[in-house]
Amino acid sequence: MRESLVLIIKVAFRNLWLYRVKTLVIAGLLCMGSFIGIVGLSLLRDVERSMQDSIISSVAGHLQVYSSKAKDDLALFGGAFMGRAEIGTMPDMVVFRELIKKHPNVADFIPMGSDMAMLGRGNELDDVLTALRTALKKGETDIIEQRKQDLTFLLQQLDRELTEREKLSSDKELMVRYRTDLKTAMEPEYLASLKILDEEKLLFLDTRIAPISGEKQPLYLMYLGTDIDLFEKNFSKFKMVEGEPLAPGQRGILLSYKVRETQLKAVVARLFDRLKKRIDRVETTIKGDADNEATAKDLPKQYQQILASLDRKESEELAAYLKSIGIETAEKELVAGLKEQLQKFLIVDDGNFKDRYAQFYERIAPKMKLYEISPGETIVLRSYTKSGYIKSVPLKVYGVYTFEGLEDSDLAGVMNITDLVTFRELYGEMNEESKKELEAMRAKSSTVVTTAAAAEDALFGESAAPTLENREIEGQAKSNETIQIKPVISDVFPISEIQNGLALNAAIRLKDGSKIDQTRAELNKMFKEAGLEAKLVDWQEATGIVGQFANIVRIVLMFALGVIFVVALVIINNSIIVGTLNRTKEIGTMRAIGAQKSFVLGIFLAETGITSLIGSILGAGLATLFLLALNHKGIPAPNDVMTFLFSGPRLYPTLQWNLVILSPLVISLVATIASIYAARHAAHVKPAEAMQEKE
Amino acid sequence: MTHAVSIEHVSKIYPLGNTEVQALHDIHLNFDVGEFTTVAGPSGCGKSTLLNLIGCMDTPSQGEVYIEGKPISKLGDKELTRLRLDKLGFIFQSFNLIPVLNVFQNIEFPLLIQGGFTSKERSDRVMELMDEVGLRAQAKQKSNELSGGQRQRVAIARALITRPSIVLADEPTANLDSSTGERIIDLMKAVNKSHKTTFIFSTHDPLVMKHATRVIRLRDGEVLES
Repeated sequence: MRESLVLIIKVAFRNLWLYRVKTLVIAGLLCMGSFIGIVGLSLLRDVERSMQDSIISSVAGHLQVYSSKAKDDLALFGGAFMGRAEIGTMPDMVVFRELIKKHPNVADFIPMGSDMAMLGRGNELDDVLTALRTALKKGETDIIEQRKQDLTFLLQQLDRELTEREKLSSDKELMVRYRTDLKTAMEPEYLASLKILDEEKLLFLDTRIAPISGEKQPLYLMYLGTDIDLFEKNFSKFKMVEGEPLAPGQRGILLSYKVRETQLKAVVARLFDRLKKRIDRVETTIKGDADNEATAKDLPKQYQQILASLDRKESEELAAYLKSIGIETAEKELVAGLKEQLQKFLIVDDGNFKDRYAQFYERIAPKMKLYEISPGETIVLRSYTKSGYIKSVPLKVYGVYTFEGLEDSDLAGVMNITDLVTFRELYGEMNEESKKELEAMRAKSSTVVTTAAAAEDALFGESAAPTLENREIEGQAKSNETIQIKPVISDVFPISEIQNGLALNAAIRLKDGSKIDQTRAELNKMFKEAGLEAKLVDWQEATGIVGQFANIVRIVLMFALGVIFVVALVIINNSIIVGTLNRTKEIGTMRAIGAQKSFVLGIFLAETGITSLIGSILGAGLATLFLLALNHKGIPAPNDVMTFLFSGPRLYPTLQWNLVILSPLVISLVATIASIYAARHAAHVKPAEAMQEKE
Repeated sequence: MTHAVSIEHVSKIYPLGNTEVQALHDIHLNFDVGEFTTVAGPSGCGKSTLLNLIGCMDTPSQGEVYIEGKPISKLGDKELTRLRLDKLGFIFQSFNLIPVLNVFQNIEFPLLIQGGFTSKERSDRVMELMDEVGLRAQAKQKSNELSGGQRQRVAIARALITRPSIVLADEPTANLDSSTGERIIDLMKAVNKSHKTTFIFSTHDPLVMKHATRVIRLRDGEVLES
């Protein structure tokens, strides 16, 4: 028996050598399969782990609970389309919390609710008027001239805009007023004579001219209302970048670092950031990379943004500084000269980028208003509440936060965090004060309260008077009064308010994260027994399509491996059958001189087994080296989605020895088993074939 | 005393398309131990079929073949294979050495399949036979490095390694020149004498025939002379 085995292996090896091209092809294919399998599965596991880490310790927790009456699935990072998911509510979180916290593996219960709101922004005219006012205050003639030029330019634009609106608007009266006002402001004398801080003129521009222009493009902000204290304690990736977190019982908002960097930062700085990130992270150069080239080309156009925020002293300083680093101008006049210098400064290439980036942030950025919103300022969030009203809530920005390692991620990082009380306000839940306010508003505007069933008739029935909601009303009201926004609800609230009442969903953090499924099943049982209408999902489901990413990649990977494997098996079987034809006489001879069928079978299986072992072990070896190298160097996340999946800017894959050892064994075993059919075919060669003479 | 091989009223019919071909018709033959017999006849006379039946590579359609008194028609593939291994030795027209093995390994091959020998026992037997066929110097050579005569010597050694009682040779000299062929026949005859091995071989070479102690002539599947 042993001798036979040794003989089989010996003969198999000799044959493999004899038919080495074939051996090489099959081994190569299995080597590739083994390599892709090990590398792919290792990376997948690493991504899955880091993603799990990203998700669990940013907003999801291990489990999420929400109403079982939900029409849509909970998707914390947004579904496939950015719609408003209808996930129902937990009208009183206490019931849920009390029950859930009874489970021994539950560490904490963090109530939440998220939605989207519009950020009220001023317009360009407001910005220029502010700059003009500053320049007038300081009495810097040339800067004043510069600002007036900016203003004139904007007024000309406004003139064209108004002409279009006049054709469309039904409110002729308003259009006439706008036209008259604008005409006044555009008289050459009007601005020319503005040389000192003339409050009357400035007020006119502020309150009569600026409102004519629409707002800047509205910015939609995702916000998450929660108990910030609990949130901070439970989500380890939460980190303040600037300002301070909201104190318990304090209304306000924490801006997302990512949102502020990508949407509320001055364009010139954003372009610098973008280039820097791509050069550092993705290791590209400016030259030759289409994306970078386009960004670099945009940069010199942004000089205006810098110029617009400098006063005379700052302009002089900057001009002198730019001169000191070799950027000169022949222009005598300060502003014109600085403009030319800035344009030159903003021309970047691979040689000067690093310096320019540092110089920009060191010398120019501190002089600018770098962000549209900064901690300490108050913003107005406007949302369409569930009851259909537009609700505006002023909120003080306390700070800027991020999720550590996910600074660049588009997914976890786009949520701005506010307190649950503000959330309820924006969501449209009525508290006593807002109910009273609504009553008052209804009385004032004589709105008829109607039921949903009667609404159609009330709106479109014969008795219904045409009512149109005019969004301009709000803006007008704001500009006619002084810019003092009186908060509807007070700035502070009793802590009990966020510990009771409405939440949409809640994160559940577990003590032992490995027991997610078990805990989930037990909690579900508890809900059932208590008759609580609650739905539990794990972190993966809670994050919608993002959480499914790993599964999708796994399917694709498995499919690719399957294809490689099937091709390999077809080639193996084919080669055995062709090999049988070539070796009929040899096989017949072995059979004639006393070798059993099993011996012949053994030789062919051994040939496949050895080939696949060699190939797959080689693949495993290469995969090991590759993964070790990657582990040393790390894989840079090429984009923001990948940053999230990698749970940071780089993924350092780990080697899984069990995968390295098991893969070749499994591959060889499967290949060998799959070749049994063809090998049996070979074993059926008749011993009499030995006698056949080829003529 | 039992015959080495007994063939009793054996017929063999092969299907050929929709018809049948009668390769052997009611053959009745006995081979005694130690005979040196040749089966002669033109192509298609049934030589090969007869040898296949004696060689346990095929079973008769009718009648019975006895190898040392043991009937083969009821045996399955496994038993037939074992019988070939233990009782029979084969020499082929085109030598049929296993290409990936060297001289020593080719000769050793049946012993390894048979099993139950120590490596020394195997080596001793192989060496002895290599001496006998005069190939000791070529022990490490591959079959494709040998001449035709040398290859057939290896084949003879391989056929004898399990000490079979019967050696079957299918036209052993057909692929050799006449002087080499003669030397091979001499060798076979010497072995036949020294080992008391029964030799049955087919040929249509008259030179070979004259060395035989008995000549069986076949024509159209029937025995003309025995």
